[in-house]
Order: sequence, then structure tokens, then C-alpha cells
Amino acid sequence: MGGTGTPPFFPITPEEVQRFCEFLYRRTGLSFAQGKRYFIDRRIEERIVATGSSSFQAYFSLLRADADHEIEHLINSFTVNETYFYREDHQLRCMTSSLLGGIANLKPPGSTIRIWSIPCSTGEEPYSIALWLMENWPQVDNYNIEIVGSDIDTRALKAAAEGIYGPRALMRLSRDIVTRYFKPVANGNHQIDDGLRGSIQFTRANLIDAQDMAQYRDFELVFCRNVLIYFDDASRRQAAENLYDCLRPGGYICLGHSESMSRISPLFSVCRFPDAIVYQRPESDHG
Amino acid sequence: MVEVGASAKARVLVVDDSSLVRLYYRSALEQAGFRVEQAINGIEAMERVLSQPFDLVIVDVNMPRMDGFTFLSTLRRGTGDVATLPALMISTESEMHDFAAATAAGANFYLVKPVAEADIVRHACVLTGAAS
Repeated sequence: MGGTGTPPFFPITPEEVQRFCEFLYRRTGLSFAQGKRYFIDRRIEERIVATGSSSFQAYFSLLRADADHEIEHLINSFTVNETYFYREDHQLRCMTSSLLGGIANLKPPGSTIRIWSIPCSTGEEPYSIALWLMENWPQVDNYNIEIVGSDIDTRALKAAAEGIYGPRALMRLSRDIVTRYFKPVANGNHQIDDGLRGSIQFTRANLIDAQDMAQYRDFELVFCRNVLIYFDDASRRQAAENLYDCLRPGGYICLGHSESMSRISPLFSVCRFPDAIVYQRPESDHG
Repeated sequence: MVEVGASAKARVLVVDDSSLVRLYYRSALEQAGFRVEQAINGIEAMERVLSQPFDLVIVDVNMPRMDGFTFLSTLRRGTGDVATLPALMISTESEMHDFAAATAAGANFYLVKPVAEADIVRHACVLTGAAS
């Protein structure tokens, strides 16, 4: 294997990259253009080294056999997990100022409201939802709010459950919120309150796998931000249809600022609220 | 936010099956200087009050395994200091018969959800005799 400090070099032909990308796409829906060749090569090289494979061919055989859960390790290396608390907070504001009021009006007090963060990455988004609700929704104790965080990346889910964050992740939070809901731990990091950690259910889910997604139903609100941009058209539509089935009729989905459901699927209605544009599963299904 | 005097440090047990609701009340009470423990239903609450001293229990009504009414009436039938532990009942139920049932079970006060942070602190201060 390469010398110390020298990145190992494993020649990979364009045909091999194409086979690899097709495999990755079939298994995850993740689609990378040729322009991402450097990114793909680096991830493959990392996994070749990590698995002790002697070549791309040897690694690809191991991957297809899913030896030692290699597909999961590969997915973990391909997903991008950097995010922060209160990201795109206009959507959180929309949740408390526009969406939840209407949802709550249709339910007796004490009933359950289900909110889903997918992909939840390392937990910043589902924890942000919980914090935002406690700080900004006066009805927070009047309903049983269930928040589920799901991701395809099991490494990210483990970090989410631990709930330890550096200063960059907390940069948008007020000092008061950090003091109230976090405790300082080693290396200048903070760990989120045990009660908050216990209030979120973290699970593994693959957005384009209908069987996987069938376990998730009856959500009033889904945050699915900045992931569909990584999918090609077919996977995007599949993900949208899966998400549609996960929502209750009348439920809402929030996408990332550069994403538009109108261009992906005709199933949803567009709702323009003062703070954000969100998409709604209509109250009555088509057909 | 209501600030409890530094000498107060009254001990409060928050009993609710929703983790977010427990956290919401706990956060408000701790911010005001109370020491807070939690339980997820009446059974767990009973274990807590029998094993350590509290100055107040804040209890939800609808909970799995043992609801708030059963917990309170069982507590009041007991002996010793726990039988007279002040109890604030908080529920989504707002009918007159719910108030009557809470009184019959032994609640000292009854609040209908949603309850603002300042209100829960104010009532906790009154029921524990803490300075506010």
C-alpha cells in the first residue's frame, strides 16, 4: 500500500466508474455526473484502502457481495452530512406561524402530531424542530408531538443520537438556547440535553426504497431538504411518490430552498405562506 | 420569566408521557431555579415520590399504564408526608367534570393546556411557597 502521507493510487477506468455509478444509483438513487469524477474517485479509493482491496475490481466484487456491510459503509462515505441548527429557519417559522395551527385545529387537544426529518443527517434538523417548537409554539404542551429523524447513513444516525456538536453547528442559536438545552463537553463541543435526545426517534430509511418507506406513515409534516438535488429525475419522482404515501392527507412537505416539487411530481399542491412555499398532499386523493 | 429566590430550590416532579412536554415544563422550571425530576406515568411517579422527597408534583391526566387521577388518589390514600404532597394537575381536558374529578383525586390546582412557561412557574411558586 502507498507510503506514509502519499495517497494511494488505484487506476479506475471510465467504464469502471460508470459500472460503479450504475450500481450506486440502483441501490441508493444517488446519481453523480461525470463532473463529480474526482469526488467519486476519492470515495472509491477511501473504501479500497479501508477494505484492504488490491484493486478496483477486487473492491467492486466485495461491494456487490455486500461483504461486511460494505454497501452501508460506501453510502456513509458518499453522503454529505454538514449542516447546522436553525438552518433555513424561515421554514421553521412557517411551521409554527402557518402550518401547525391548521393541523391542530383539526385534532382534539392531546392527540398526536407526527413530524419527520428525512434525511436528518447528524440530528441538527430534528433537534432544531423540537427546540423551535418549545421556543415558538404556544400549543407545544397541548399535543403529543412525535419527531422522527431518518437517514440512509447509519454513521450520521449514531452521531445524531449522541447529539454532540461543535461551535459551527450551534452558530445560529442564541446563547440562552445553548445554555438551556446543551451542556459543555470536551474540546469546546456541546451535547444536547438528554431529554431532547430522548424525544427524537432516529431510524434508518432509504427515500427511494418503497418497501423501506412503507414503515413510515401518518406524518402531518415532513422536512425533506437538500437531498432531492442529488437524485436524477426518476429517483426524484420515486422519492416524491414515497413521501406522498408517508404523509396524511392534508399533510405538508418542506423542501430545500433550491428545490421545487412542481418540477418533480404533480401529486402535491403548492401552498404559499408568508414565510415559505411548502407542498401539500391534498385532503382527498386523486382518482 | 418569573425568577424564584435563590434560597428556594424547591424540588418538583413533572409527570407526563410526552418527552417534549416534560422537557418544556422542566426547562421553564429549571430556568426559574427549581430542581426538576421527571416520570413518564403514574407508576414511575409513585416510585419517585416514595424514594425521594419532593415539594410539588405536576401531573398530566392521560397517561399509559397509570393515569394522573389514579396516581393522585393512590398518593392521597397513603400515609406520611407524601400523602399531602402539593399537586398541580395539568391536562387537555377542560370540562367541568374534569375539574371535579381532579379535585376528587386530590389535586390542589388544575390547569388546562396549553400552559405558558410563566404560568407554570407562577403556579409552582405558589404551591411550593417559593418566593417569586
